[in-house]
Amino acid sequence: MNSGAPMISVKNLWKVFGANADKVVGSPLVDLSRSELRTKTGNTIAVRDVSFDVAPGEVFVVMGLSGSGKSTLVRCMTRLIEPTQGSMDFEGEDILKVDNARLRELRKTRFSMVFQHFGLLPHRNVIDNIAYSLEINGVNKADRHKRANEVIELVGLQGYSHAYPEQLSGGMQQRVGLARALAVDPQVLFLDEPFSALDPLIRRDMQQEVIRLHHELGKTMVFITHDLSEAVKVGDRIAIMRDGAIVQIGTPEDLVANPADEYVANFVRDIAKSHVLTLKHLARKAAPGDATDGPELAANTIIRDAAQVILQSHKPVRVNDNGTALGIVSSEDVLRLISGGA
Amino acid sequence: MKVRKSYLLLASVTVWILLGRLLNGTHTLQIATYENTAFTSYIGEKALDLRGNRTESPAFIYFFNPIRGAIDGFVQGIRNLIAVPAQNSVIPIIGWLGVVAIVAFAVYATSQWRTALLSVSLLLACGALGMWQFTMDSIAMTLAAVLLSLAIGIPLGIWAGLSDRVLKIFTPFLDLAQILPTLVYMAPIALVFMIGAASATIATMIYSIPIAIRITSHAIRNLNQSPIEAAESMGSTQKQTLAKVQIPMAKQMIVLGINQTVMAAVSFVVIAALIGAPGLGKPVIDALIIRNVGQGFVAGFAVVFLAILLDRSTSAAAKRQTSFIPLTQKQIKTKRITLIVAGILTVVSVFMSRTMLWAAVWPKEVTIAPQVTKVTNNATAWILENLTIFTEGFKDLISYSVLNPLETQLAASPWYVTVGMIVALAIIIGGTRTAILAFVLAMAIVLSGLWYEAMLTLTQTIVGCMLTMIIGLALGIWTGRSDRAERVLRPFLDAGQTLPAFVYLVPMLGLFGPTRFTAIATGIVYAIPVVVKIVSEGIRAVPHALVEAATVAGSTTRQIITKVQLPAAKKTILLATNQGLIYVLAVVVIGGFVGAGGLGYLVIAGNSKPELQGKGLIAGVAILLLGVIFDRIMQAGARRSA
Repeated sequence: MNSGAPMISVKNLWKVFGANADKVVGSPLVDLSRSELRTKTGNTIAVRDVSFDVAPGEVFVVMGLSGSGKSTLVRCMTRLIEPTQGSMDFEGEDILKVDNARLRELRKTRFSMVFQHFGLLPHRNVIDNIAYSLEINGVNKADRHKRANEVIELVGLQGYSHAYPEQLSGGMQQRVGLARALAVDPQVLFLDEPFSALDPLIRRDMQQEVIRLHHELGKTMVFITHDLSEAVKVGDRIAIMRDGAIVQIGTPEDLVANPADEYVANFVRDIAKSHVLTLKHLARKAAPGDATDGPELAANTIIRDAAQVILQSHKPVRVNDNGTALGIVSSEDVLRLISGGA
Repeated sequence: MKVRKSYLLLASVTVWILLGRLLNGTHTLQIATYENTAFTSYIGEKALDLRGNRTESPAFIYFFNPIRGAIDGFVQGIRNLIAVPAQNSVIPIIGWLGVVAIVAFAVYATSQWRTALLSVSLLLACGALGMWQFTMDSIAMTLAAVLLSLAIGIPLGIWAGLSDRVLKIFTPFLDLAQILPTLVYMAPIALVFMIGAASATIATMIYSIPIAIRITSHAIRNLNQSPIEAAESMGSTQKQTLAKVQIPMAKQMIVLGINQTVMAAVSFVVIAALIGAPGLGKPVIDALIIRNVGQGFVAGFAVVFLAILLDRSTSAAAKRQTSFIPLTQKQIKTKRITLIVAGILTVVSVFMSRTMLWAAVWPKEVTIAPQVTKVTNNATAWILENLTIFTEGFKDLISYSVLNPLETQLAASPWYVTVGMIVALAIIIGGTRTAILAFVLAMAIVLSGLWYEAMLTLTQTIVGCMLTMIIGLALGIWTGRSDRAERVLRPFLDAGQTLPAFVYLVPMLGLFGPTRFTAIATGIVYAIPVVVKIVSEGIRAVPHALVEAATVAGSTTRQIITKVQLPAAKKTILLATNQGLIYVLAVVVIGGFVGAGGLGYLVIAGNSKPELQGKGLIAGVAILLLGVIFDRIMQAGARRSA
């Protein structure tokens, strides 16, 4: 992760649906429950005082159940839905304040979005779907087709450029969606539950595809999902949302190791800890009788990846964090974690 | 609650009948046909003044007359092209061979050769019936009205599709247009724009523009939103999204709207012969007036052929749009070659039709009209001779059992008794607000001086609607429950809906002679398809689980129908009744000039007889008021039962 200035900085973002929405924010009304507020004023708070930063090149995941406000949040960030209050800094500019012309400019060149239901134009073939954003950017036909062909290759759609969306499987359609989003070479990619409409096997392929693209292109991504295992797989950091508010932000390891509350704990319960936690989490002081000359492993190794070495070694492994010895991990420690103990 | 409602209805009907019997013959407000009240003669004078003002009043000089001139010129241009010779010419610009070739080419280019072949055969059949020029006039009128309607309707429809506020403003007008009987607005338009092609075109547009608006706005509104959102997220302007995303996606539905607009226009153009539209309506009316069924059939067939031709060719074009995938390169190449060949043939034909007389004017020797006239006249005579027992029997059965008693009850009771009944009906079914509206509208009819005629029309409408519902419910339940019945009936229902109501008058006149029964029977035939379709959809919309649960519980088919499907579809059935009533009313009034009398007769007579002009105009309004009263009551009932 990059520790420099954030790429995106969202501060105190609110979205309230219904009439006189701006009167709700900052009033005591915000403390009412959802149904109370709805019966009293007819308003619904979809996004509640949300703040977070996204670092350049980071994959930032927003995770929540349906109705938690995650889709509204991502639409507020691109202003497909106008937020009620708050700010979002991007390259020193408050996106929520820019006028329509500037907003279109940003959407054309800086931001791209991938949608759950693909959002492909049914009357255009693959190449012209991908070239759409270039077309409205005023790029001439030869140039935009050249660029479209580059991204077609990037996402593995070779040979399909003249097919129509209805001729493609869901997975292929979302590849077109990805290619379309990449065509303008944006700085930030917003992905709104991009794989939720796909069946599980295809979904796994597409998750790998996003990870690969992220490695190759290094784009900053804001990734929305309702699936925690997906979040853990693709995310550098995860924000968990509930009732419009962010409950916790952290790396997958943070969430699993230190859930902020019962809600998050419930969520992460089903995640295999060995897939998320690193040796740092298991390392302990050597007890009397422990051998201290076992093999050495780095502290940021995921337990699953270290398991084979640890289980095959007769002695506990030593955990090393950039030269500092953190302690040891024995086969029993690993087995206890995998079988569900702490 | 439900029980109480039906008791209340029963009680008020009983009181109504008793009072009607008791006070029979008093306060019926009946006046002779040629008698005017102060109000009707006042309106008549105003109408005459309006006519006189045509050359003086600024509203006419700067507004109405220019519109009339422009539309007349437009229609005349198209007519000169295919139907009638222009000035200084003896033949239209394109003769029959040219028209046939152009139609074949156009249909082939937009759909497929089979449809093109059908279209050509239908055109030739119209020619063989001796109706070539009338057919061309009808096509010219339809074309003019459709082009203008689409030019106005599609942009407005797109606007209403994009903006909720615009749709809200349009909706009352669109709703009104749906229940407005066609006959109602012909007279006022003819008064302003004079009898002739311009009035007919404008009246047709009033009928077909709402359809274009409704379907276009529906098409825009029901698009998959996700591509639109995606386009927005990529920085498209509103205009770009509309032009590159929304309209291309909505195209198929809009083409379907064109089909509907065309069908509405052609059926209206035929009826608009009553206000001077050139075309096939004229021979139909002439035949109806002299009660020559055979001659009516000749023109009627031509109308039917024209309707099928327009429907098939435009709906085939719409069907071709079901997929966004274009043809492959090879297919495009083949099509292009055949199109070039066909195009050359078309150009040659048009050229021939401009230079050779036999290709320009339909040869008089090629005709089957006399044979058709003879056969149908013979058939009619045979029916009248041999089937009288059935037709007369049916007529008498309905007349003595329902029609006459109801007419006595409605027309021979004092007006206040029946107004009371209408208000009671409105209270029980619709509630207080509906009742107030019904009272105001009913009183307006009373004050108009045409209460008696309105009651005659109402009698026919109610009887027609009852019979329509009996047949329509039976067929609707059948097609709603059986896919096979649906498959068998569907083509007839579709055909029934596309044919102009006018042509049904011809066979009915043959069966029942010039009586009010002819009008009622025509109304029934016209209304049944739409009622069957609505009821069938309602039955099909009943959740399958409900029917399965009832079946498992051991219900008989009859119990399932009466205890599950009909109650669950109650709202739809009320709406079907409403639709049936409006349809029957619209046709019953047209039957005014084949012996049905009532308001319809006054409207039609008002067009030609100056002394009846005032009454005719008011009669049109009274028809509308009747329609609105019952539409509001039924709509309120349907809303309540939801």
